[in-house]
Amino acid sequence: MSENTQRNAPKTTEKTTDTRGTGSKPAPVMAATGKHASTPAGTRAVVVAGNRIPFSRAGGPYANASNQDMLTAAIDGLVARTGIAGERLGAVAAGAVIKHSRDFNLTRESVLGSALDHATPAYDVQMACATGMETVSSISNKIRLGQIEAGIAGGVDSSSDAPIAVSEGLRRALLKLQRAKTTMQKIQAFKDIRPADLTPAVPSSGEPRTGLSMGEHQALTTQHWGITREAQDELAAASHQHLAAAYERGFFDDLVTPFKGLTKDNNMRPDSTVEKLGNLNPVFGKKLSGEATMTAGNSTPLTDGASAVLITTDEWASQRGLTPLAEVVDTESAAVDFVTGKEGLLMAPAYAVPRLLARHGLTLQDLDLVEIHEAFASTVLAIMKAWESPEFCKDRLGLDAPLGSIDRSKLNVNGSSLATGHPFAATGGRIVASTAKELAARAKAEGRPQTALISVCAAGGQGVAMLLRSA
Amino acid sequence: MSAADSTVPSLPEGYERTMPSGAVKLPALYATAGARAATSAAGDAAASASRRVLPALRTSPVGRILPASLRTPGRDRVSGALELPRVAHVVEGLAADPEWHEKFCRVVHATPHPEAPGSAETAVFSGALHCLAFPVAMSVLTRKDFPLPVLGMVHISNTVHHVSDVAVGERVTATAWTENLRAHRAGTMLDAVVTLTREDGSVAWAGRSGYLAKGVHTAIAGEAPRAGSEDAAQREHAPFEAPLPTGQWSLGAGTGRDYAAVSGDYNPIHLSDPSARALGMKGAIAHGMYTASRALALTGVPSEVPFTWSVDFATPVRLPATVAVAVDDDGRGAHWSASHVQVWGPKRNRPHAQLRVAAL
Repeated sequence: MSENTQRNAPKTTEKTTDTRGTGSKPAPVMAATGKHASTPAGTRAVVVAGNRIPFSRAGGPYANASNQDMLTAAIDGLVARTGIAGERLGAVAAGAVIKHSRDFNLTRESVLGSALDHATPAYDVQMACATGMETVSSISNKIRLGQIEAGIAGGVDSSSDAPIAVSEGLRRALLKLQRAKTTMQKIQAFKDIRPADLTPAVPSSGEPRTGLSMGEHQALTTQHWGITREAQDELAAASHQHLAAAYERGFFDDLVTPFKGLTKDNNMRPDSTVEKLGNLNPVFGKKLSGEATMTAGNSTPLTDGASAVLITTDEWASQRGLTPLAEVVDTESAAVDFVTGKEGLLMAPAYAVPRLLARHGLTLQDLDLVEIHEAFASTVLAIMKAWESPEFCKDRLGLDAPLGSIDRSKLNVNGSSLATGHPFAATGGRIVASTAKELAARAKAEGRPQTALISVCAAGGQGVAMLLRSA
Repeated sequence: MSAADSTVPSLPEGYERTMPSGAVKLPALYATAGARAATSAAGDAAASASRRVLPALRTSPVGRILPASLRTPGRDRVSGALELPRVAHVVEGLAADPEWHEKFCRVVHATPHPEAPGSAETAVFSGALHCLAFPVAMSVLTRKDFPLPVLGMVHISNTVHHVSDVAVGERVTATAWTENLRAHRAGTMLDAVVTLTREDGSVAWAGRSGYLAKGVHTAIAGEAPRAGSEDAAQREHAPFEAPLPTGQWSLGAGTGRDYAAVSGDYNPIHLSDPSARALGMKGAIAHGMYTASRALALTGVPSEVPFTWSVDFATPVRLPATVAVAVDDDGRGAHWSASHVQVWGPKRNRPHAQLRVAAL
């Protein structure tokens, strides 16, 4: 494969190929056979359409919906809107962060339940809150390599229908019992069970290695960067207002399919204001010495929901009369050492983005749209403050000058996770679909190509950044 | 830290090496993981080793481990000058049982690593070696001629020299003695020292535990009458300033019982509130060595590097508790040189313990 690629690929000395210029490209009709010699190099991966179900606060209308139900609904809505029912796609990639062990083939099962051809392969991905971003990256890369022509990327999460496991002690005892051959061994296995082991284990958002919840981790970052309560509440209010405005002008009409009686994200509060948010009590960082500023209003709630994005070649889209919205240009992942407190848990995007921009010769100010996932309002603010800090940019990023500030009018223009809610794995698909649509609309209105940056932080100190360009 | 902490401890001159006098007692101090009592640990060390002897006091009748001094009334008014027995207990053929070691590591959140890269042997976690050595130290502390009451004694500090890894199942010899009897503002302190030697005679691991017998104020043989002792100076330390936490531990009420089950340290002050109150505590407290082992497991000390770690205990951790921790590694992997872990109670801002690890 690598030999083949090298022989056929255009001569580029750089490790990273600029995928911008894509005038001539042969059309591999069925790129599945290993024998074909036509070069896939230069093939663009374009976002054609996206769909999600409205996001619901945990315990709401989706309380009894499983991950599989929701993912199937998101895929089916996308299939119906794009008219690709019965099509065999190259791959469907999706995942869930909170996942039952029986759902090992969650995505494949959802495909089997969907209107797609049953011969569509599928695989599960899990990268915490960046799961959706990673599926978009993975499907796009397959397309760009010529392995597939069309695929769906997405994700789903349910905090309501969370799996509950037996305790660690009971689990070990039961496994021991299963291995036991003699009656004596079986009795021995039972003997190990203690009354406390009968309490079930419920999944938590705590980091396994530190024992701190994500909110407590972010509280440390918030304090480190001196992010004020007012700044956080302003960002949260803007998120709700932007989302409400987008619904108002029908932006989500072809991005959202109603599900279980819900037509809009039920976490959205169109009348949200800084004053109202200012009345909430802090929930994170209360044990720290400084002022606690993080409230339920400027943190994302536990949410249920699913999203899906159709990514194809230009060829595949045009054959079906579909219009590409945006090209998936490139992705960069980063991770940080939060375990020993050297960096904040959710600060990895601060490292991923500069590397991604440098690879494409871009600056923060070159971007037309910036989407920074609002895990917490202070996450967005801390990342932006880090890019403005000469010390951080020099010491941590090795840059001569800070990356600078981001024009707030370009930031999260249609609202983000504080307003929509954040069903972990579904967030990447939500942002990619909305951003692709917004890019296409702006490119048409302004008559010039538009570039967007997406940044998503994730548990485990990880982050994924992505560049989209209007198609 | 006293000067004695900086070097690997060695048996002082004039100490007599002996098998534990209570050849009858020792089996009671030892039991296998499956509660199979080792019948003759001292007399038949080789046979015991083949049965993977590991320490656990669970089958021992409590009375057995009480020293003579505790069973006699008026123990706080010991008359005459105190003197430690100049005796070292030697127990051969100790080995860490694989299943026990896995359990131990699970309880203290440690990740076992191979003895050497690519080796099929697992290195025994340094905190687990303490448990392997602990009963031998106990056998010295519970001698009839040991002058202080062992039950209710407080573990103040602990220093370990981890010279080389011991493999799970590998036979080592433990040599334990007490020394350095000294005055403390709250009573009398002494060091219990245990070394673990390999079959070639080299010391692989050595631990020095500082114990405080609270409320015992009496003359110490060979020492001037107590006035301003070294420990008195420690009282005037600066108020505790909590660092930014890097993590937290949620310690359930059963933490003491869990650690007792793997360490064999069934001191009632750790097991439950009623049993702790019976010994004058306000409630059950976590084992100091549990805190130390968990803290050690958090550090980035690389395998293969000989290191020393020492822990100082401040206020005890009352169970159940949520404690804050801060880990600071100086370098990673090949560049690692030292680590510092602080454990404290965030609610009342009280320090519990701090651990320092450094390359040897």
